[in-house]
Amino acid sequence: MKKPIVTVKDLKKSYGHKQVVKGISFEVQEGEIFGILGPNGAGKTTTFETIEALRPLESGEIMLDGRNVAHEPGKVKSIIGIQLQSTAFYDKLTLTEQLKMFAGIYGTKIDSAKLLEEVELTDKASSYPEKLSGGQKQRFSIAAALVNEPRVLFLDEPTTGLDPQARRHLWDLIASIKKKGITVMLTTHYMEEAELLCDRVAVMDSGEIIALDSPKALVKQLLKRGFTKKQHVEQASLEDVFIDLTGKALRD
Amino acid sequence: MKRYFAPIFVLGAAFTKRFTRDPVALFFTFLFPLLFLFVFGSLFRNSDINFDIAIINHSQTEFAKEFVADTEKDKTFKLKSDVNNLEAAKEKMGRGEIDTVIELPKEFGTKNEKGVPHGEMIVYFDQASPQSGQTVAGVMQGILDGINKDLTKNIDPLAVKQQPLKTSSLTRFDYTFSGLLGFSILSLGIFGLANSFPADKKTGILRRLRATPLKASQLVLSTLINYAIVGLSSLVVMFIVGLTVFDFDMRGDYLSLVLFSLGGIIVMFGFGLAIGGWAKNENQSAPLSNLVAFPLMFLSGIFFPRFLMPDWLQGITGYLPLTPIIDGMRYIMTEGRTIFELGPELLTMGIWAVVIYVIAFRVFRWE
Repeated sequence: MKKPIVTVKDLKKSYGHKQVVKGISFEVQEGEIFGILGPNGAGKTTTFETIEALRPLESGEIMLDGRNVAHEPGKVKSIIGIQLQSTAFYDKLTLTEQLKMFAGIYGTKIDSAKLLEEVELTDKASSYPEKLSGGQKQRFSIAAALVNEPRVLFLDEPTTGLDPQARRHLWDLIASIKKKGITVMLTTHYMEEAELLCDRVAVMDSGEIIALDSPKALVKQLLKRGFTKKQHVEQASLEDVFIDLTGKALRD
Repeated sequence: MKRYFAPIFVLGAAFTKRFTRDPVALFFTFLFPLLFLFVFGSLFRNSDINFDIAIINHSQTEFAKEFVADTEKDKTFKLKSDVNNLEAAKEKMGRGEIDTVIELPKEFGTKNEKGVPHGEMIVYFDQASPQSGQTVAGVMQGILDGINKDLTKNIDPLAVKQQPLKTSSLTRFDYTFSGLLGFSILSLGIFGLANSFPADKKTGILRRLRATPLKASQLVLSTLINYAIVGLSSLVVMFIVGLTVFDFDMRGDYLSLVLFSLGGIIVMFGFGLAIGGWAKNENQSAPLSNLVAFPLMFLSGIFFPRFLMPDWLQGITGYLPLTPIIDGMRYIMTEGRTIFELGPELLTMGIWAVVIYVIAFRVFRWE
């Protein structure tokens, strides 16, 4: 039996008069990949940032690995890894130097070469981040989020804006992170991504969780309600064509 | 303790590394104070008293021509040779470009019945600044007395002999130099530093750092380390130029100067850190830095020595943060005091340091 590593109870959050998160509760099990899906403005990022102790908790309770996020924000930050929606790094510092800098903040030592190898950026070790492509930036951003060997890794729309090759490589990377026993929480707009990666997903809309289960179970529930889709006979999609034509290798 | 300070040094080292890789930032950080030093240094370099004068010569005599030529060679005067009529000269005097105008009338230097040149020169000076006019008239009288003696072969039984002595007095540059160093600390610490955090807020990197356990005070202190290294190097460069190009007369010990300057840097940079940490963007930091920097620039003795101020203003401006820094550096450099003899200055600086860093840590905003 798995135990919950993140517990959110009745989380509420308002900006001015507008309540963007309306009392949501959920648990994330240790070692799983937990996805939050939802249209723009559903409150996904706000929920993430409150769990990450980046925004003050207004009402509700969040426990992360047995620690109360509101009482020990510093402690919580030291055991999580965060990839923000918009990645930013200092310019004029090489990737190796950036990773060492981040490790220094956590007070740990790291093998930066090994970490860069994990995210397929070995040949960019001495480059500045401003020279990286979009996909490389996202992978580096994940590497930076791993320097403290976090208990939970947060990925906010990690594949938005990436080409199909880069996206597939990122999926492999996320799956390999899960294998190391790190719990992953991610948000995404891509349903096939959620279906492929996530053990369970929460669907958010207008600040509320309207469904929470494994992708398979959610599909089954929908079909049970008598949902039918126009049958399509193609055994491949346009993306399959694209990958077939251009190959799986990374382009950046 | 180690958990708190170790990240500060790691970040400080990373920031400094970045700074050395930014040629534009380096150029301006080191060039601007030097430019400033050259402009003001050249202005204040000459310590000899000299007067800007114009001679309007209406006389055609050899004697008058010789007199003008001799005056031109005299180091007390700086002769404006481009002025040749009285109206133009008076106009320039009105603007302060000329201190005194000397008119030699037509008959000046013509020989009298005894065959001796005679005449009367007129010394014009601005009523508003009579000292220069009287001094020039006095010097002229002295020159003429000498000529008279030669002409008449009279020996005056009583006379005053002027003997200028080179004492260990300060040149104007020596006095101004500490102000120039102070200005460099002020400009880098406020104008340079106050925009650093807002720029980082714009890129989003501070958001990223906030996702780590890093505290605002740690980020502020690591930024201070970076800028203190840069600021101290900039002062060293200025100092070398001051010693070599402007013959600065250093009388104190270098250890005191370095330690004291570092203290000054820490105090003044606190203002830039507080402004930048509070400001959400450059539109907020720029006017606020001006608001803080300009009064300090004019009231702390950078451009005008404070002893020229009325007593009440001297009293107030003595408590400004930059004043004890400039005073202290001057005491070390020109009077040879050590850092242990600067208790009052260090006390004022210490109080300011505590106040400004408490504010800086409190008002810091990550985005």
